[in-house]
Amino acid sequence: MDFGFRISPSSAINLDNVDLTLFERLHEMEPDVYKCMACGSCSATCPASVYSGMSIRKVILCLQRGREKEAFRMMKNCMLCGKCTMVCPRGINTRHLILSISKLYSETK
Amino acid sequence: MKENIVIIGGGIAGLEAAGQLLKLGYSPIIIERTERLGGHVASWHRLFPDMSPAKELVDGLVAAASGANIFLNTEISFVNRLKDSYNIMLSNGISIITRIMLVTTGFSVFDASKKEEYGYGVYDQVITNRDLEHWFNGNADPRIDNSAMNAVGFVHCVGSRDEKARNSQCSKVCCITAVKQAIEIRQKFPEASVYCFYMDLRMFGKKYEDFYINAQRDYGIRFIRGRVSEVSENIEGKVVIKAEDTLSGKPVKVTLDLLVLMAGMVCSQASSRVAGMIPLPTDSDGFLKSKDNVYGVVESPKEGIFYAGACTGPKTVPEALAEARAAALDVHLFINGLK
Amino acid sequence: MRERFLTGYNDFVLPFVLGMAFIISYCVVGMVRIILQLPAEDRKRFFISLVTPATLWKNIKDIFLKCLIHVDIWKRNKLLGYMHSSIAFGWFMLIVIGHIEVFLYTPHRAKLFYYPIFFRYFVAETESTMKGALIFFLMDLFLLIVLSGIALAIIKRVRSVMFGMRRTTNPSFFDLVGQYSLWAIFPLRLLAESFTADISGGSFLTKSLNHVFTSFLSNHANMLPAWWAYSCALGVFFFVLPFTRYMHIPTEILLIPLRNAGIKIRNARKGLAKAQVYSCPSCGLCIDACPMGVMKANIRDTTVYLNRQIRRQNEARIEEISDKCLLCGKCTAICPVGIEGDKLRIAQRSIRKYNLSPDYSGIPVSGLAAAAGDFSGTGHGERILYFAGCMTALTPAISRSMESILKKAGADYSFMDRDGGICCSRPMFMAGRFDAAKQLIEKNTEIIRASGADVLLLSCPICYKIFKEKYRLDGIRIVHHTEYIDSLIRQGVLTVEKDGTRYAYHDPCELGRGCGVYDEPRRVVEAAGVLAEAAKNRKESICCGGSLGSLTLGFDKRRAMTENAVTNLMAGSPDRIATACPLCRSTFGRYSGVPVEDIAEIIDRKTTKTDRS
Repeated sequence: MDFGFRISPSSAINLDNVDLTLFERLHEMEPDVYKCMACGSCSATCPASVYSGMSIRKVILCLQRGREKEAFRMMKNCMLCGKCTMVCPRGINTRHLILSISKLYSETK
Repeated sequence: MKENIVIIGGGIAGLEAAGQLLKLGYSPIIIERTERLGGHVASWHRLFPDMSPAKELVDGLVAAASGANIFLNTEISFVNRLKDSYNIMLSNGISIITRIMLVTTGFSVFDASKKEEYGYGVYDQVITNRDLEHWFNGNADPRIDNSAMNAVGFVHCVGSRDEKARNSQCSKVCCITAVKQAIEIRQKFPEASVYCFYMDLRMFGKKYEDFYINAQRDYGIRFIRGRVSEVSENIEGKVVIKAEDTLSGKPVKVTLDLLVLMAGMVCSQASSRVAGMIPLPTDSDGFLKSKDNVYGVVESPKEGIFYAGACTGPKTVPEALAEARAAALDVHLFINGLK
Repeated sequence: MRERFLTGYNDFVLPFVLGMAFIISYCVVGMVRIILQLPAEDRKRFFISLVTPATLWKNIKDIFLKCLIHVDIWKRNKLLGYMHSSIAFGWFMLIVIGHIEVFLYTPHRAKLFYYPIFFRYFVAETESTMKGALIFFLMDLFLLIVLSGIALAIIKRVRSVMFGMRRTTNPSFFDLVGQYSLWAIFPLRLLAESFTADISGGSFLTKSLNHVFTSFLSNHANMLPAWWAYSCALGVFFFVLPFTRYMHIPTEILLIPLRNAGIKIRNARKGLAKAQVYSCPSCGLCIDACPMGVMKANIRDTTVYLNRQIRRQNEARIEEISDKCLLCGKCTAICPVGIEGDKLRIAQRSIRKYNLSPDYSGIPVSGLAAAAGDFSGTGHGERILYFAGCMTALTPAISRSMESILKKAGADYSFMDRDGGICCSRPMFMAGRFDAAKQLIEKNTEIIRASGADVLLLSCPICYKIFKEKYRLDGIRIVHHTEYIDSLIRQGVLTVEKDGTRYAYHDPCELGRGCGVYDEPRRVVEAAGVLAEAAKNRKESICCGGSLGSLTLGFDKRRAMTENAVTNLMAGSPDRIATACPLCRSTFGRYSGVPVEDIAEIIDRKTTKTDRS
């Protein structure tokens, strides 16, 4: 039935409702995932970012906020070139982090 | 018995400590590696947050310390540990026996060419905060003089908070220096767009926040939260920088006429050399290690050896001066304790 | 010649016969399985190679030189080479001459395959005939050679440094059993043959020992235990062989023809990969070669341990070892057997299961192709498409120097990724994600083809390798900038000002071992200054530690490797370090005490504009 309007879901993130079980498992595999200080170096240098907005910084953030779909959409364009690993001031091994996310998370969950 | 007090380094901390010790009736010896006193500050233009001339401060300190025994162009050749004192051999052939040393060897500016992605030394339009300060101070710099200034960018945290640069600590003064220099650039080139690329703005000191607001409101400096990760050159020979505007979550690209790298503070080679001779321990950040980082910042773990200024970590000018006074008092109390 | 026993049999041959039957059937089954596991086209190629005279001859030559003489080990260390070839070649000769003996003296026994092994138990002969004297002398001589090899092997266990090896492999339980039984075989053979030397005949070794023995052991019944022990040692060795490193002896004979047939690893565990894994003799040369070895924690992640874990099917360790590796290829370069440690690891990575797969179909190539086709149009010769690559984007000094050199040379060039491009796919390939890599290759191929270039010029050896190996860019020459600069200098297009600066040239893994480019960069360096070679160079060059090959090594874990590589480069006390890879340049720049430069930067600095531009 179409009433001509919809109650759109709140765009706010309610951290109470975010299931972080998977993220905690990711954190066990990749302890450095919490070291990100969101400087944006990785996104700026990423060759895939111009096409898809890929940003491993945002991927980490999205996974922590329960917005996995958005993270997967970005990750699909990663070329694993390693530039983000090179520029990360916190020395996070972003390439392995990306592979771990690809292993752990699943689109059809 | 007259105690020799040896101050290693004639920068602002060394000068201030010498001035205070002279007032307390001692005659300290200053050993300065270069040909002039005042260290880094002597070549700076104006100091934040009041834009006071650096020259005035240094001249005042030099005048107050003029009664000290000053050796310029002199390095320490070696230090011998005697029973309860040290024998310091200087490069000019003089040897000093002392029980008290004050280490004020200061810091070095991070070598920005080590961050090769920023192209310092590769592109003519890329300079450091130090180069800019020298230019403000009246030294000609072809990299700045020749360009029409339409856009100027400042990159914060170059060689600071960066494990890849082997320097993971915050250099503390670059944020406020960038704000200061950005304002000065706008004063010189009112038409230029000025951008500051920062990770976090650390406006911790007195009046810093006001200074920052000033920069935003009165000078229209654009602060972009994102670390620059690539600098390239376009066909016209201008530099193009890439960063992420993390607040909008979008990559940004800007074409600039001048890019200023806010190179951070690292432990100076001179500090490491002196530390190696005495020997003094270094902390995990690469700077000299204090007896305690809360109540014994100006004391070394060794009896009779004191610190002041940036040899123990990045410091602002007032902090270095305050430490110098504290160290002078500690020296005084130490000598009283010997009697 | 007189046979002592009409039956030509004694029970003591049983351990040997059973062991031999077991190992032969095991090897035949194994060989058939490996061949069946090959993809059909590879199998066909393999069989054709077996009947092609050229490869057939190469197979025979390689098997003789590698399996028996161990030429590669000789080149490395003479003592180690002697140790290996004395055992292998000596044993081989004992078997060959043993068979000749049987054919000469007792041809009717030739069908009993244990007969040559225990020949001297079954016959009575004197060495007084010329024939006997010669053959028995040869038998004793080769036995002595083998025994000297065994003695060296025992010494090596205790003092491997004498053999040029700092570290050796930690043997597994079965390796030890195999090793002790192997060590026991020949002394026991000497003992047994010595006991019977007064009946069967012998030579300088066995006969003399016999004289010693008969002084206190005159009863010939005593000889049996020695023959039993000898047979048992052989039997035990053959029975444990499949579970030990000695499996490399039969497997290598299969590996050599497979390699000569040009077969590549297509499956992580089957076919060629399996042949390689079982061919590993656990010699441990790869341990000292591995750049990660500077940290003790990494020793167990070298190729020899990878092979061992693959044989044990220890999946967790296989994953750990294959993901940690820098893929510098040095173990492959020095392996005397020809095991490809790097390719084996990429194969292991390729069988990982991922839930998220890359999809680059959304990347539009038209804009990139237009940028790539924008040549400077000087009209001089070939159209050169310069692809700096991702890593070079982070070391602008290199791309800027290259552009300057191209301008000085008056080249008709286009800077394909000035404004960013698509990754070459080598990093993706090294992570074992071949499908994704293929997509990237297709994208780049489309851009490059559309540009109308004649030459693809690369600054990054990582890109260079994959462009050379996996791209199909018919008609477009692929060159690394060191090759390009070398040709410019040789054609006289660039005039380089030479001075006395000493440069240590670091061979980047992907350029040197990866693509075999060793001489061009050296010629270029020598045009600008003096070449001060590193302690280990060319195919033995030490990885800078910055490699994208490693998936798991974090930034902090690589420091010791880089420092070690810098120390190696400083051997010739250079003023500067020259390299030809953006990644090596930035990695060394972090820890080196002397300036680090790319060859392009040196040449740009040392050349002036020439007439052509």
